[in-house]
Amino acid sequence: MKIDHSLPLEYSTDQNQYNILGFWIFLGAEIMLFATLFATYFTLFNRTGSGPSGAEIFEITPVLIETLLLLTSSFTIGLGVHAMRLGNKKAMLTFFSITLLLGLAFLGVEIYEFVHYVHIGAGIQTSAFTSILLTTLGTHGAHVTLGLFWGLFIILQVKKRGLTPQTANKSFIFSLYWHFLDVVWIFIFSFIYLKGMM
Amino acid sequence: MKELFPAKQVIGFAFSLLLTVIALAVYFLDMSFQTGMTILLVTAFVQAGVQLTVFMHAGETDDRGAIYLNVYYGLIIALVTIFGTLLAMVWDM
Repeated sequence: MKIDHSLPLEYSTDQNQYNILGFWIFLGAEIMLFATLFATYFTLFNRTGSGPSGAEIFEITPVLIETLLLLTSSFTIGLGVHAMRLGNKKAMLTFFSITLLLGLAFLGVEIYEFVHYVHIGAGIQTSAFTSILLTTLGTHGAHVTLGLFWGLFIILQVKKRGLTPQTANKSFIFSLYWHFLDVVWIFIFSFIYLKGMM
Repeated sequence: MKELFPAKQVIGFAFSLLLTVIALAVYFLDMSFQTGMTILLVTAFVQAGVQLTVFMHAGETDDRGAIYLNVYYGLIIALVTIFGTLLAMVWDM
């Protein structure tokens, strides 16, 4: 294995570079996945049947909290990668842990929101609108949930093995995934919530 | 401690908060649907660009060409999917 010390650790071997590029290709596919969900949402959002409309069930406060939590977590994992590039393992793990805690809080608010929707009669079977709404939000939420477990294992591995080309590469790829979830949320925040409440 | 908070990322974060506040204008202020959608489209895509370049480090390494090509490809398919669906299903064209 040839290690190029002029590059950041996560980019230092050929394999690492291919892994990162491969993950970007996966993210390209994810963009398309969420595009199909948004396309379906825009088609169905006013087919509310006898159920409530978006304007009737959306509330600004939980949405704003979710947005701030996810935006901040995207910032902290960015700082984590920066600390990793400085070789500061302790700071990196601290930032990654803060990120996961913010992610957990986000998920908590989202679960509260889902329970609230079901409680006020906007469950997944109520109408075409509620079904695509909860499917879109749920797909994003499932990604966050997966990310929490993934991130936890990354932290444990860096703790155990230290910062090597392999663990740095995995951490960097995880950070790409996390930032991507924030990007998807920005679009959900703008074109589902804010558009719905406009 | 200071070296852990690079200016580029702190500014990027502040900027993304600012974009969120601007987007919130469509909720708190009265405006037409067109104006609102324009604001949302601009803030959302700029926000995505900030994440991509400041936080995801796209464009910093030699594979930047492949990374951007791939993102643009994903984006084109996404926009064709969304606007194709809108054309056929919503705008009745």
